[in-house]
Amino acid sequence: MRLQFMLGEIASGIRRNASMMASVVLVSMISLFFIGTGLLAQREVDLAKGYWYDKVQVSVFLCTSQSSDVPSCADGAASPVQTASIKRELLAQQPLVEQVYYESSTQAYSRFKTQFASSPYLSQISPQSMPAAFRVKLSDPKRYGDVASLVSGADGVEAVSDQGKVLDTFFKILNLLSIGAVVLAGLMAVCAVLLMTTTIRQVAFSRRRQVGIMRVVGASNSVIYLPFVIETMVATLLGAVLAIAGLWALIHFGINHLFNHVGNGGDLVSLIGTDDLWAITPWMFLGTVVLALFTAWLTLRRHVRV
Amino acid sequence: MIRFENVTMKYGANDAPALDDVSLDIGRGEFAFLVGASGSGKSTLIQLTTRELVATRGKILVAGKDLRAMPDRRVPMLRREIGVVFQDFRLLDGKTVYQNVAFVLKVLGAKRHVIKQLVPETLELVGLEGKARRMPHELSGGEQQRVAIARAVVKKPPILLADEPTGNLDPEISEDIVKVLDRINKTNTTVVVATHDQGIVDNFAKRVIELRGGTVIRDEQNGRYAEMLAPTSARRTRPAGSPGGPGRPARRPAEDPTTVAGSPADR
Repeated sequence: MRLQFMLGEIASGIRRNASMMASVVLVSMISLFFIGTGLLAQREVDLAKGYWYDKVQVSVFLCTSQSSDVPSCADGAASPVQTASIKRELLAQQPLVEQVYYESSTQAYSRFKTQFASSPYLSQISPQSMPAAFRVKLSDPKRYGDVASLVSGADGVEAVSDQGKVLDTFFKILNLLSIGAVVLAGLMAVCAVLLMTTTIRQVAFSRRRQVGIMRVVGASNSVIYLPFVIETMVATLLGAVLAIAGLWALIHFGINHLFNHVGNGGDLVSLIGTDDLWAITPWMFLGTVVLALFTAWLTLRRHVRV
Repeated sequence: MIRFENVTMKYGANDAPALDDVSLDIGRGEFAFLVGASGSGKSTLIQLTTRELVATRGKILVAGKDLRAMPDRRVPMLRREIGVVFQDFRLLDGKTVYQNVAFVLKVLGAKRHVIKQLVPETLELVGLEGKARRMPHELSGGEQQRVAIARAVVKKPPILLADEPTGNLDPEISEDIVKVLDRINKTNTTVVVATHDQGIVDNFAKRVIELRGGTVIRDEQNGRYAEMLAPTSARRTRPAGSPGGPGRPARRPAEDPTTVAGSPADR
């Protein structure tokens, strides 16, 4: 009986304040959209860093059977002898070279698979086409050139790269984007909270006689509060659903269609996909619920006397 | 049922007390009129009984509960034992007579069959049989007050408080309303009526408790209202400058639960 009664109260509250409720929905949608953008940008940074970014400074890629167009790879894939000699040369540079990791083409392929899970490139790559590599950690990252010049052009070496250099600009942009998004999200969250507060006050005002009667006859606080709390929650959760739909569209139609084409000529950068969105979805919902509960509770305590 | 022991109520530390060392005892099943001019402390006394207000000093016992020691979360339990009727009826405009009365039971989580039994029974008790489907605006003032009384007693509280229940009604209708209250009193409900309606007090010859300036100046069985006007000596016993209570504006029980002065209610 009481459940049905409460649901009726909630429905009538939403109906009466439809425009206010709609604005709560929209503002929380925009706020959550920006929060989501910030979170996704950070995930993109983590993803693009890949396995080695924070661990090494120099990557020495060895020849594969398909890299015969590079002069030092004329003999096809790097032979065990060539590989051993490159390793020796690198290790001779201690203490500048702090650590040398060998990554076989199979390992490289499996890491590539994780990093580029949502990329159409994946189907183009076979384990054989992934180069084996020495990943070199330097004691002084600035002296990258010393090591690079030593091994580049050596037999069996296809390329030497300082992947960090390429990614750093990209990361700067992404970090700026996520800071911007988070600042906007923060502002919109403030708007959302203020709007929720106003809406609850408005609803409380329009229902003051009813609330007054409920108090007088001895309704418990939860019965008086709950309709307000649930109305706010419904509105903000609806906003969250819309925000996630917006982010999904952004990833699906924006990133995947515009940038993630095979052969668009750009650098090969792994990009986030909808999986990443589903990973942050529960957190966005949780955040929404906590924010709505907190705001509603605070407003009711201040403005609805029990 | 309602017991005040040396209760003093001050709204502000420097204000004159609205109730000053009041002691009284209203037993189960009694009917009492609480009389006195505006500002004499009637409404304060009623609000202390429902714990809208907390006494500055003294002990209040209502339905066996000590209000001084009562934590806030127990207050709803206290209010379930008390029905309250107001001068301005306070019916919910969008609901029918039946729904207004059933609202209380729904809020308190009563079962459907209980509601179906109690609401018509209560409407009959207050003389509104056949009007269950009317909207409040279709009813006369007297009928609206009957609905309000039905709403107050449908949960069968042992105590019924009425604050100026006839204040908005003409004398004939007022009499009918008090008859309804009297009928409810016969069901072993303690009824306290705060009023300055001389007609009803004189006609019903019940216990009369008179307040003036926050103190009980008279408490008698089969009392009359008029006696408060006769002895001028009573006035002289009050300190100069406080006739009819301190210069406090008349207070009505706050209806508005919100502190906002926002846009108009879209009821």
